[in-house]
Amino acid sequence: MTHPLRLVGPEERPDAAPTTGPLEGLGVLDVAVRFPRLGSEVSSDAVRHDLRHHEHSFGPRRPQADGGARLLRDLQHVGLTGRGGGHFPSARKWQAVRDGGGGAVVVVNGAEGEPCSAKDAAVLQYRPHLVLDGAQAAAEVVGADDVVVWLHEGADATRRSVEQAVLERRATGRGDAVVHVRTGPAHYLSGESSAVVRGLSGGPVLPEFRRVPTAVSGVHGRATLLSNVETFARAALVDRTGAHAYRAATLLTVLGRSDRVVVELTPQHTLADAVALQWPADSAAPSAVLLGGYGGVWARWDDVAALRVDEPAARATGRSLGAGIVAPLPARRCGLGETARILAYLAASSAQQCGPCMFGLPAVADLVAALVAGPLGRGDRRRLDRFLAEVDGRGGCHLPDGAVRLAVTALEVFADDVAVHARRGRCLHGDAGGLGAVVPVPDAG
Amino acid sequence: MRSEPRDAAVQLAVDPVACDGIGICSHLAPDVVAMDSWGFPVLSGEGLRGARLGQAERVVAACPRRALFLRRG
Repeated sequence: MTHPLRLVGPEERPDAAPTTGPLEGLGVLDVAVRFPRLGSEVSSDAVRHDLRHHEHSFGPRRPQADGGARLLRDLQHVGLTGRGGGHFPSARKWQAVRDGGGGAVVVVNGAEGEPCSAKDAAVLQYRPHLVLDGAQAAAEVVGADDVVVWLHEGADATRRSVEQAVLERRATGRGDAVVHVRTGPAHYLSGESSAVVRGLSGGPVLPEFRRVPTAVSGVHGRATLLSNVETFARAALVDRTGAHAYRAATLLTVLGRSDRVVVELTPQHTLADAVALQWPADSAAPSAVLLGGYGGVWARWDDVAALRVDEPAARATGRSLGAGIVAPLPARRCGLGETARILAYLAASSAQQCGPCMFGLPAVADLVAALVAGPLGRGDRRRLDRFLAEVDGRGGCHLPDGAVRLAVTALEVFADDVAVHARRGRCLHGDAGGLGAVVPVPDAG
Repeated sequence: MRSEPRDAAVQLAVDPVACDGIGICSHLAPDVVAMDSWGFPVLSGEGLRGARLGQAERVVAACPRRALFLRRG
């Protein structure tokens, strides 16, 4: 099953031969993978590494020799954080589950809630064994007999790759943890950690408020290590290389006019390098960029073009890479209009469980839509600011917080647009509605 | 309006998924529970003592949805 490799990206590699170079040259994904603007069905021919190919590149995985103490130290030393968007320190999470004393569950979360993200689909479709290696290492460290890979329903290409990988590993007869593949409905919240735990425990796939951390009591009350796909793949690399040879890197999904590209970049790269992959060299620079997806932040392009692709660097500027989505906004397009569309989707994606989200988000979305249509009524801007403050931090999950972040940064970054829309009901960019969305938004399901 | 824990003492907290916005809490404990624009409780997250702790304990018991609870430390 070898396809000619169609590569795009900063480190083009012209053939599909297994990588045999030194370990430090290897990342999670040494190819760039292209996807359509929405959905997880890949549109480029990269080569999936089966178990043989994987072990040819990395060598066979070695079980933890010391009960996992070294790996825990190494995870802490390299500062690995969760790549689902929250960037919680992995070592602390693993330690908390391990303290439960066994009988734990490892959940590999591959249900990318952010519709623009495709990095986890890319990794599971092309490097599934790296993820399963990380999950198995985690199972050994925290004392788990079961690994669950959680996916969206309808993510068929991803599911096929994972199931194939599980079969390939089973055929080796190694006594690894049992891997279960489970799916949830493909909506914005089905990758939210408490919703995953609730779904796997037999409930609806909706967020719940957890008075006890998932690490202590998660799936069916068992200590649960739930992390994002990329996080497990990175943990597998740390396990292979040790802390000294590990190369920090980040998977980004960069949005373009006709598709998305998933690439792995290092802190030596900047956001400008990422955007250049999708940006015609002869066109004007973007005016702004959306970082982290619908629940992310808008930033002026000039403020972040030189930002290193590194979560600590982003945090130092008060921003976050979130789950690694980078969506550049062309200079002549209206970021407020984009924001209004996204907010409407987020409001419709609410689980309708918490009052501030159920009532507050539609109110916010309506006011931003009214602002775009303009002119804004008396007191509407004050009401919008009050509602944003009232919604922030008051849901059972982080959906409303993300929506507030999006709206607040839009009002700040697009302040010039806000003034013109609100006073005159006009758009600085002309009505861009006919041009279609820059940031694609699915129908809320 | 984020309510961050600000005090190591006892705080009143709400499970927003369980809360239906019935509003008994803000009637019984006006010094501890405020209301947002839609009638859902807003809690300051500050440590409670004396009479205000007494109010908080009363509303924890009175909430028909069992959505309120006390958090220590």
